[in-house]
Amino acid sequence: MSDWLGMAATPRSPRPELKARILARAYATPRRPLAWPLAVAALLVLGLAGGGVLWRRVTKLQSDLAATRDTLGLLRRPGTRVVTVPVVTNGRPGGLTIFADSLSHRWLVTCHNLTPNGPGEAYQLWFVTERGMRTAALMPMDQPNPMVLAFDLPPDAGRVMGLAMSVEPREGSVEPKGPMVFHVDL
Amino acid sequence: MTRLERLTEEEQRGLLTRLRARDETALAELYDRLSPWVLGVAHRILGDADEADEVLSDVFVQVWRRIDQHDASRGPLTPWVLSIARNRSLDVLRRRGRWRRKVALVEAEAKVEGDEPATSADLAEASVPGWPVHQAVHQALGALPEEQRQTVLLAYFEGLSHSEIAQRTGDPLGTVKTRLRLAQRKLEESLRYLKDWTA
Repeated sequence: MSDWLGMAATPRSPRPELKARILARAYATPRRPLAWPLAVAALLVLGLAGGGVLWRRVTKLQSDLAATRDTLGLLRRPGTRVVTVPVVTNGRPGGLTIFADSLSHRWLVTCHNLTPNGPGEAYQLWFVTERGMRTAALMPMDQPNPMVLAFDLPPDAGRVMGLAMSVEPREGSVEPKGPMVFHVDL
Repeated sequence: MTRLERLTEEEQRGLLTRLRARDETALAELYDRLSPWVLGVAHRILGDADEADEVLSDVFVQVWRRIDQHDASRGPLTPWVLSIARNRSLDVLRRRGRWRRKVALVEAEAKVEGDEPATSADLAEASVPGWPVHQAVHQALGALPEEQRQTVLLAYFEGLSHSEIAQRTGDPLGTVKTRLRLAQRKLEESLRYLKDWTA
């Protein structure tokens, strides 16, 4: 209500020529854009960007959770065998741990401290079966980081007698041709 | 001749809508209604005709640019425009560092003008729209005890803070605050009916 106090001032008639000048100045002034649509737009963009990041994070976490559950499920099965294979690659001591589920024919292999592959090369895991060597997984390794692989035994592979790993071209081989890293009987 | 034009809610909404739609005739209409009061506020605060003209121009440019910021639910256009005029005038006063000189000037002028309402006999401005509101505001101010009235005028037209008023009048700060609070309450009661009116 105090803004009505301005009416207490004695009114003064503006000089007549001022009106046209003032109105012309006002009309020539661009209207100030409203702050709130800009704020809403900024919030929307931030929200969408944040939502995208959050969605990717959620998807990654869901994927990690599924993998972890799968691993735990494999480890809890009564028929799962665990085999540890020490290997030396280019003088570097490392190893693989193999979890083999004979009931579901699911396999999980973890690798530690393997030497990274040379250019155009990859590690390739093989099932040693009664029908010969069957490819199990291709493991291109560019960094000496631990790696976990889960894979299924092909239905027509027959009985698995062992596991092997060789160094092959990056695109993989139908049968092992490169240097053998290890060969273990199960 | 005096007249107080009451805009119906629909008329005020129409004027606002036209202003928001950049209807130039609406701004001209608002100028005709309010420019004497805007100039009056500016002149009262600044005590300088050229500066008051400058403020008058700035106020209507600002109204044109920022009409979207006026919230019609919080009151009619007149107090909003007058508050722009007051703030702009005080900005000019402070920015130009002429505080002390202007205060002296305003005080000197107040002795001439007094705080009495202008009379229709000596002013052609009596014909401006809103004249009865001017008288009503003076009546409300006149109903206040003298010390409250002076405190309100120092705060409104000179833009003094509570402590500056206390320093000026030599009264304790608490007294100044109390006076302003009491005066504000009385003015709100006296001028409550104006919330539905616009000049």
